[in-house]
Amino acid sequence: MQRPRTRVIAMIAAGTTALALSLTACSPSSDDGADRPLRVWSGSMTPINNDFNPFHVDTATHLTFGAIYEPLFFFNQLSADPPVGLVGDSYTYSDDGTELTITIKPDQKWSDGKPLTAKDVAFTFGYGSNVDPDMTSIEATDDTTVVITYSTPKFTAASLILGSTWIVPEHIWSGIDDFMSETNQQPVGSGPYKLKSFTDAAYTVEANPLFRDGAPAVTEVQDIGIDSNQSSEDLLKTGKIDWVGQFIANPDNVTSSGRIATMNQQQDPTVIVTCADEAMGCVGPQVDPAVRQAINVAIDRSTIREKAFAGLAGESSPAFALLPRDEKWVSDASLATSPQSPDAAAASEILEAAGYTKDSDGFYGKDGKTIELDLFSPDGWTDYNDAAKLISEHAADAGIRINARTVSEAEYWTPIANGDFQLAMYGITQSLVPDPFSNYDQYFTTLASAKVGEEPTKGQNYSRYSNPIVDEAVKAAGATQDETIKKDAYASIQAEISRDLPYIPVVLNASQSFFNVADFTGWPSESDLYAAPLPYLSTASAIVLTHLKPAK
Amino acid sequence: MNFYVRRISFYLVTLWAAISLNFLLPRLLPGDPAAVMLGKLRRANGGRPLSEETIKTITSILGAEKGTSLWDQYLAYWGRLLQGDLGVSSTRYPAEVSDLIAAALPWTVILVGVATVLSFALGLIAGAWVGWRRGTWLDHLVPATTFLQSIPYFWLALVLVAVLSVQLGLLPIFGGYDVFEFPAGPEWSWAFVASAIEHAILPAATIVISSVGGWLLGMRNMMVQTMSEDYVVTAEAKGLTPSRIRTRYAGRNAAIPSLAGFGIALGFVVAGSIVTEQVFSYPGIGKLMIQAVQGLDYALMQGVFLVITLTVLAANFVMELIYGFIDPRVRTRG
Repeated sequence: MQRPRTRVIAMIAAGTTALALSLTACSPSSDDGADRPLRVWSGSMTPINNDFNPFHVDTATHLTFGAIYEPLFFFNQLSADPPVGLVGDSYTYSDDGTELTITIKPDQKWSDGKPLTAKDVAFTFGYGSNVDPDMTSIEATDDTTVVITYSTPKFTAASLILGSTWIVPEHIWSGIDDFMSETNQQPVGSGPYKLKSFTDAAYTVEANPLFRDGAPAVTEVQDIGIDSNQSSEDLLKTGKIDWVGQFIANPDNVTSSGRIATMNQQQDPTVIVTCADEAMGCVGPQVDPAVRQAINVAIDRSTIREKAFAGLAGESSPAFALLPRDEKWVSDASLATSPQSPDAAAASEILEAAGYTKDSDGFYGKDGKTIELDLFSPDGWTDYNDAAKLISEHAADAGIRINARTVSEAEYWTPIANGDFQLAMYGITQSLVPDPFSNYDQYFTTLASAKVGEEPTKGQNYSRYSNPIVDEAVKAAGATQDETIKKDAYASIQAEISRDLPYIPVVLNASQSFFNVADFTGWPSESDLYAAPLPYLSTASAIVLTHLKPAK
Repeated sequence: MNFYVRRISFYLVTLWAAISLNFLLPRLLPGDPAAVMLGKLRRANGGRPLSEETIKTITSILGAEKGTSLWDQYLAYWGRLLQGDLGVSSTRYPAEVSDLIAAALPWTVILVGVATVLSFALGLIAGAWVGWRRGTWLDHLVPATTFLQSIPYFWLALVLVAVLSVQLGLLPIFGGYDVFEFPAGPEWSWAFVASAIEHAILPAATIVISSVGGWLLGMRNMMVQTMSEDYVVTAEAKGLTPSRIRTRYAGRNAAIPSLAGFGIALGFVVAGSIVTEQVFSYPGIGKLMIQAVQGLDYALMQGVFLVITLTVLAANFVMELIYGFIDPRVRTRG
């Protein structure tokens, strides 16, 4: 009958973590690596949905994506190397980018023994939510070649078309009319694993003997549903699970025994999204670029990285490119990183030049109205909550009043989607390919946005930023493969967005992963980052699985 | 007979009100489930535009009610309810809410049910004993157990896990059974039942530890009061054995108020213990509820609330009938 309030829980959780850490004692069970399944927590919570439908990108089981069903190619977001062929072997665009010719590897088989041919690929692109309204024709010209034509250039959609379209067998899916309510509980895929058993607490996949590269060395993988990070950390410490991707404040406690190794990837930008454009319907002081610029120089990013992100986060770039991966696309070296230490004087200068004056309390305002901004983040996302608090403090030091508050997750998404907000902590998904195009296309163009009150449907430009120069440059970059034209276009985009700051970069968020190096070998390392070792990533996690070997 | 008719009609009205509230409450929450799910899909899709077909399917399942009047929604809600159709979950799309609840209910009922009965029995026996021996060192049990009850549950559970499971390795860390030993799921074997029991010990212990104090305190106070009643003095004067007086005379009467509380506590068993299930990844109802609220999953939320409401009402009803049977005063003034 004891029902503590959730707020209390959050506070106590922090305290308890500290205590649990001080109590650490490792008694790893000494299972030998060879005969047991590799156990992974891919982030699913119990009850796990019995759903292996690759069209349910949000609710299907994790191993559906990559381990069971595969895309044509694997795009490694950590490297600038060309994509690795999975089902696909090679692809070429026509000069104008409207015709895509894909060659797939020969003699592949589905896990039920039927041959996998170009016909299946052609079927996949014409089925369900894969259908691209710009597609004009698709044809399997022989057993290994597919030709797709589009009404617009598709150079920049390569990672979407080739890297996250899950190839499904025609002989099964042609009989499924309603792809959205299908749960596909006996999946037939081309990937390295096939489903062995399912329960809502955990499910197991086993090596697919018909996999084109031969069955993977790790013969079984069990994906477990766990509801709290603490449980997963405990299981990792006691040697019950082998692979997780989660935040652990003090990783030394887990890795000290030498069984578990850790890696930290910094890629997705954490930003303050602002409702930036008055013409689109945004209201509030933040529609003035001077205010955003002042906040940008006023915040102390190094403190935020240390205090809110446990020192794990990276330095963000106002060019919204991932460095060093995207180095060649950044026009101006000064755009490589945002200022890391606060400069209240510079903030004052910007505001005063724009006609703001300090009131008697020391806060800036214009025409007798003090700037007062509202900044919110989802309750319980402690790194965001803490960062928001720090931002509010740093801005106050520079004479800008920002009120940080937390809201429930439901209350978080609705105002952002509708544009009914001033400032919010937000996470941008980094481009999956060594080219920041999708960042610009998805988050900065007018087309990807919508007027306040409406929801963006063709992108995620929740800032409502609308700038014809950026729109033009994105269009120009998307229509070509010529690097000089692209670089010029990116240079003008970067100049515009780093000045206008519709998204004020804060940090590059960290993604920690922990894996068992005692029982399994072949994990990615700093010197060989063939894939990100994050078990919740689709495809990348399957690539890692196929590289692993039992240690004994 | 009149008493029962009155009670039953009262419960029917309460039931109608509860089910109607269950319809209204989720709709008072901010946000639109179809919009939330479409937003999630869009982010998960990595920029691929959602096809018209997808949007239509989602809105027809989750947001069909948008645009229709509240009254029509209300009628449709009753229509579905009477057919036993609780709808489709949006957070676990396309799983049926009734399936999710059916899978979670047994775990919760057994774990929380057994823990509640244990806690009640322990509290009652210990309370009677402490009340009987009032003024001795046993009195210290009262502040001791209420102190345990005042420890935030989350903290208690995490400390017990850190010590007993992680450090000493005595008990399992999470789950309703050993998912490593039984990758194919629940089966009818002794090994499985043993595993399930082993996994229930720690969650059940935390529930008992954090709730036994209340029962103990109530029982002890009633016991002290009852022992000053004339019939206890009479019984002592008659020369009855102390153990007979303790159990048959004082204890029985002192337990009556606790029994009423127990009826309600049993009703709440179905609600599960949200925090317990969260901390131990235990496959129960409470966790479904919290996930539904967080994910704005109206259908799941309503389904879970409905089941909880029905059981609490049913438990109350049964307790009231029993009361009317035991104590005639309740019947005549009811």
